[in-house]
Amino acid sequence: MTLQNISFMEKPSKQILLGNEAIALGAIAAGARLVAGYPGTPSTEVLQTVAARNTDGAIHVEWSTNEKAALEVAAGAAWSGARAMAVMKQVGLNVAADPLMSLVYLGVRGGLVIVVADDPGPISSQTEQDTRFFAAFANAPALDPSCPEEAYAMALQAFDLSERYGLPVILRPTTKVCHASAAVDLSAERRPFAPGRFERSARWVIFPPLSYRRHGEIKAQQAQIGEEFSVSEFNRLEGDGPLGIAAGGVTYAILRDALMARSGAADWPAALAASALSVLKVGAVFPPPKALYRRFLSRARRVLVLEELAPVIEEQLLALKGAENLTAVVAGKLSGFVAPNGELLLEQVARYAETFLSPPPVTAAATAPEPPVAVTAPEPEPAPVWPRRSPVLCAGCPHRASFYAVKKATRGQRAVFCGDIGCYTLGNAAPLDMTDTCLCMGAGLTVAQGVKTADPQALVFAFIGDGTFFASGMTGLLNAAHNRADINIMILDNSTTAMTGHQSHPGLGRTVMGEETVKIDAAAVARALGAGFVERADPFDLPAAMDAARRAASHPGLSVVIFTAPCSGLFRPTQLCRAEKCSGCMLCVREIGCPALRIAAGVVEVNAALCHGCGLCARVCPSGRLRLEARA
Amino acid sequence: MDILIAGVGGQGTILVSKILAGAALLAGGRVRTGETIGMSQRGGCVVSHVRTGPVSSPYIPPGGADLLLALELCEGARHLPRLKTGGAAVVSTARLEPVTAALGQEAYEEKAMRAYIAARPRARFIPAGETARALGSEKAANIVLLGAAFAWGLLTMDEESLLASLAQNTPPAFAALNRAAWRAGAEAARNAADDREVTG
Ligand code: SF4
Ligand code: SF4
Repeated sequence: MTLQNISFMEKPSKQILLGNEAIALGAIAAGARLVAGYPGTPSTEVLQTVAARNTDGAIHVEWSTNEKAALEVAAGAAWSGARAMAVMKQVGLNVAADPLMSLVYLGVRGGLVIVVADDPGPISSQTEQDTRFFAAFANAPALDPSCPEEAYAMALQAFDLSERYGLPVILRPTTKVCHASAAVDLSAERRPFAPGRFERSARWVIFPPLSYRRHGEIKAQQAQIGEEFSVSEFNRLEGDGPLGIAAGGVTYAILRDALMARSGAADWPAALAASALSVLKVGAVFPPPKALYRRFLSRARRVLVLEELAPVIEEQLLALKGAENLTAVVAGKLSGFVAPNGELLLEQVARYAETFLSPPPVTAAATAPEPPVAVTAPEPEPAPVWPRRSPVLCAGCPHRASFYAVKKATRGQRAVFCGDIGCYTLGNAAPLDMTDTCLCMGAGLTVAQGVKTADPQALVFAFIGDGTFFASGMTGLLNAAHNRADINIMILDNSTTAMTGHQSHPGLGRTVMGEETVKIDAAAVARALGAGFVERADPFDLPAAMDAARRAASHPGLSVVIFTAPCSGLFRPTQLCRAEKCSGCMLCVREIGCPALRIAAGVVEVNAALCHGCGLCARVCPSGRLRLEARA
Repeated sequence: MDILIAGVGGQGTILVSKILAGAALLAGGRVRTGETIGMSQRGGCVVSHVRTGPVSSPYIPPGGADLLLALELCEGARHLPRLKTGGAAVVSTARLEPVTAALGQEAYEEKAMRAYIAARPRARFIPAGETARALGSEKAANIVLLGAAFAWGLLTMDEESLLASLAQNTPPAFAALNRAAWRAGAEAARNAADDREVTG
């Protein structure tokens, strides 16, 4: 018996899984035949886990070029009868919005589940948008898990739901479910694949008359699905107190812990009994479970809605209350009781619940916005402020060298540096300070064109990674060529999708399933899209890199430099830098800010455990006191 | 029991969390974890939460942790307020200065950090980085720290479950190194006896 087997012997079907892993295994058990996605925190591990557990290669798993491609590929499989899943983060759904909106009208045959991970906070995203809201906009049913166990159950059932109604279903976990782990029961039998066969039918061709008819049908279905959701295992009305709290997704789990702490009860049933509350758990959230909501609002006359991101449940309750002339008072984000932005952590949930439950119950308080002040735990004494630790480019990161080369090459000139989405967004930090704009995937290239038009005197650069270039940069480059934009596009080619943990992309010649495939050359693409000046440069060869940047800048019209050097996360360093008799000028620290450089007793010291031996600091040191040597 | 693990991206906090969670499951208990995954992994602070017992949510509230395991000194100081009164802490003396400190924008005050942490009666220090380096890889510092925490009697899981979980969650190629790191941590802790500072 190997150690590997112990957990299975003692707990035959339980494994500790991240929420994202649970979703992946749920989809595998449900018989998903195709899984396509685009990486993005906090969703990335879903597809990665399917790929890792797909040992017999039966499931087609792909990192698509972007989310739109992923959803369309999945739709094709689902139209052919197979079960399919598309995976992305919330801003990725913006990219896939075009296919999503029409796809709901056409519907599906095989179950199609779209996993869209939301990021309250936001922790690693551009926006705090809410996919439940998007689902309602697109008319797609939406499920919102409260924990990894439920994420697994929802992934399994979402495919059935999708097939029963012929609609794509959105499974929307949030960061605190995606990246939380729990012991998940994996005893469900894996369902065999449905045979795939595309049947020709007018239903797969969208035309205005079809859309008109389907729009009516979809709305009629929604009432039905809402009824089903009223008795769904994912929605629950617990307790029967006169005050009510409704909680969506992970906030329900947090509410349980908050109420347990408040009552001092040993478990949830005891805490619920002690609280004299009606608690509404909402997991199957769109279409709204109106019958269940009706019962909730008749049982509890004053209710608090706790949900992260948009006030979706709150609006659903208010709409029902308005439509049916119910008297309940609803407090939440719309009433100003709950903050509109940020996460709902245990401490906030406890505070809101405390304020809501504190006697005397002020009937007007729910509508008159009053900042909740009561705190369950005494505020800890203010802690000293320690140095902040913001994320930075890794030691040995090639992006640092590329940014530095361009910075030096343009010194003394008025230059604008448009950035993009990836590790290199961190080029904004001191001391590089090389990111002036960042909007969304691929936008740096096009924003640069607008800046250059409005401000022709400025030297305009756009930085974009290789992965982002293939995902969303090519149309921007084409646009620049076609419209004669005089901008300089710096493609930072580090041979990976680094930010999200090294996923494959079209430039790498290998798929996520490990197969060799055609390797797309970014330089050839840039030329084919119309760029006249296209050069590659090694960013660690500082003079050559600066020269390339200078020539690009002086080239009239569109120019492209592809800085090529692998991400330091892709290889083990063979070299190490050492500081000897550092003069203390601190130029290296001030110029490049490598995290492996530290100052001790007025001189620079290299942290050998972190140094990746890239040699950039050695090039910067004016007195040759930093030297590379072979690693032991 | 609520255990908070704090460190800097790349130090292996998530591995510590996985080992603890796996051990709790092997020992027949209930467990949930919450991880920081994403942009902050690029040299930012990384915090993992491990909660055993009848909890529903994965994150430990401020002032709620029974035990803090810190893989870096400044992170130990930063996350100390998350301990409940009377909570225990095991803090590695490894220092990783943020770039802002090297740039002179902020000061990395080692003495102040140590004093702040030492004010907690149940806080202990261990030179986990140096101990691991002596074994051949600083990367094993997280296991050194775990071994020390166990030897100090701060973990509720039994040794067999912890070691089985360690083996399950790490590649076989590192098994010998990790066992050595575990033992070295445990030994350093035992030798420290009542002296709260392990000078290694
Ligand atoms: S992961 Fe790679 S690309 Fe990202 S910061 Fe580190 S070295 Fe640079
Ligand atoms: S060689 Fe210099 S710049 Fe490169 S990783 Fe090492 S310390 Fe940093």
